[in-house]
Amino acid sequence: MNATIEVRGLRKRYGSTVAVDGLSFTVEPGQVTGFVGPNGAGKSSTMRMIMGMDRPDEGSALIGGRPYRTLRSPLCQVGALLDASAVHPGRRARDHLLWMAHSNGLPVRRVDEVIDLVGLRPVARRAAGGFSLGMRQRLGIAAALIGDPAVLMFDEPVNGLDPEGITWIRGLLRSLAAEGRAVLVSSHLMSELEGSADHLVVIGRGRVVADTSVQELLTAASSGRVMLRTGRRQEAMTVLANAGASVAANGPDTLTVSGLAAERIVALLNEGGVSFSGIAEHRASLEEAYMELTRDAVDFRGATGAAGGPGSADADGTAAGGAGGSASSSASAGREQR
Amino acid sequence: MTRTLPIPTLLTRTLLTRTLYAEWTKLRTLPGSGWSFAGVVAVTVALSIAFTASVDAAHCPAPQGCHEDTTKLTLSGTWLGQAAVVVLAALVITNEHATRMIQTTLAATPRRAVVLFAKAVVVAGVVMAAAVLGVAGSLLTGRFFLEGNGFTAANGHPPLSLGSEPTLRAAFGTVLYLVLVGLLSLGAGALLRDTAGTITAVLTLFYIAPVAVQFVGDPHWRERLEKAAPSAGMAVQATRNLDRLPIGPWAGLGVLAAYAACALLAGGAAFIRRDP
Repeated sequence: MNATIEVRGLRKRYGSTVAVDGLSFTVEPGQVTGFVGPNGAGKSSTMRMIMGMDRPDEGSALIGGRPYRTLRSPLCQVGALLDASAVHPGRRARDHLLWMAHSNGLPVRRVDEVIDLVGLRPVARRAAGGFSLGMRQRLGIAAALIGDPAVLMFDEPVNGLDPEGITWIRGLLRSLAAEGRAVLVSSHLMSELEGSADHLVVIGRGRVVADTSVQELLTAASSGRVMLRTGRRQEAMTVLANAGASVAANGPDTLTVSGLAAERIVALLNEGGVSFSGIAEHRASLEEAYMELTRDAVDFRGATGAAGGPGSADADGTAAGGAGGSASSSASAGREQR
Repeated sequence: MTRTLPIPTLLTRTLLTRTLYAEWTKLRTLPGSGWSFAGVVAVTVALSIAFTASVDAAHCPAPQGCHEDTTKLTLSGTWLGQAAVVVLAALVITNEHATRMIQTTLAATPRRAVVLFAKAVVVAGVVMAAAVLGVAGSLLTGRFFLEGNGFTAANGHPPLSLGSEPTLRAAFGTVLYLVLVGLLSLGAGALLRDTAGTITAVLTLFYIAPVAVQFVGDPHWRERLEKAAPSAGMAVQATRNLDRLPIGPWAGLGVLAAYAACALLAGGAAFIRRDP
């Protein structure tokens, strides 16, 4: 089976509210696709329509080219964690997985395999009603994996997980994608997807705001800015501005330079005899990139404050001379890693 | 974890058998199910004992003049046992809506008609098993108490036996009656989705409606309504004076069957059309 999710022109309204407004995107195998947008942007509605739970007013959502409702053994093709609390509180965790296995003709052995995979062995014979949110998420993930499906969907999977659980789920997402599966993960926080998503579909008010790879997005947001640390700020600004760069001061001894490559800046400063203690290409965080991206989308105004990243300070060339200890001009042109 | 597709799935099983197996597993693994099942049997037998232990041939003008329908009396526990059946059957579907489990069910089996059909088969099977035990228990205890209370062969009341055709029909019919009550309740549950609402509606149909009908002044209309109410199905328990009943035993059961069929069809249509 072709392991993809294809969403084409999906539209859905609930009463007078348009939840999903002409959404189109494709989830490719072998990578983690982040599905990002503020609460109420239509992420869950879209996932419910992919699962055939809600009928779209227009458009289609196909799994490997077929609508979910026509799949004969859906758990073997799509695994989904949409609502971790959608279990009967009185039923034991193992029994919950057992009926699911029976429903798709899966061997009972699979039940024990996924219990071990998510680490629920010690509580497998306890009623799911007594589970913490984190344990329920794990049970939901076990249910999603029971049919060893090629397509996986997780709606806000890290909600309610402790740091250890978050690390675990990130590793799981990466490994599932590395095995060639298509993985769609929704989140209302871009930072949650940092380091796990390869591709992003950003939506707002039911529409696609961006459909891009994480790499492209970060490159665009970083836009060739270079961070420079120097005790001789005034001189550095003059030298660099004369070379055509735009320079902004954002601290007593730090500058943000754009318009010049890091290597060229090092050369210029050395020529001018300006000492500096550090230089690094600025790498935007995913959160910053997201803010940059959604700043243009009017829908997002007021949803969150501006990112506290660099680039927001105005150029201010008249600040008092830096009194910082100007060490030797050892240039470190490496990338600033987060 | 390495990917080991394909898992040797039991695809030789049809969609229906897989869904049946899943629904049966669901019912079996809920702690409340065992109690509901025991409840149907216990309530039915207990009420039968209460009825049969309290009648005495000595209260009749003459022992031979007792026209008591002992079979019907013995099976009267059904009157209360049906309430337990209503609860058990309604919960099979309303419970899933209440806990949102229905989403998981439909993710596993997106074919809604198959899901509801499997639920109906499981409900029918479980209620039938409980009803057989309830009816058998009622007949055995009834036999014991009736004989002790003067309903003897000498007085024209041979011991209850499935060898007698009317008693056999009443016993078999009572089992079918409870199965149909269960299916009606399941259909209503699929339609209404809410546990309390479903149980209230179905119990009203079985307990309030027959009483309300008695307040209808016009005897002609009263008899018509008695024939048309789902409780007309109780006629299947009668073994004596059949000509005085408002409706025949099988015809009465047929009325209930029509109600159950309508409830399942309406519930099924709603279940298929609505988003969970």
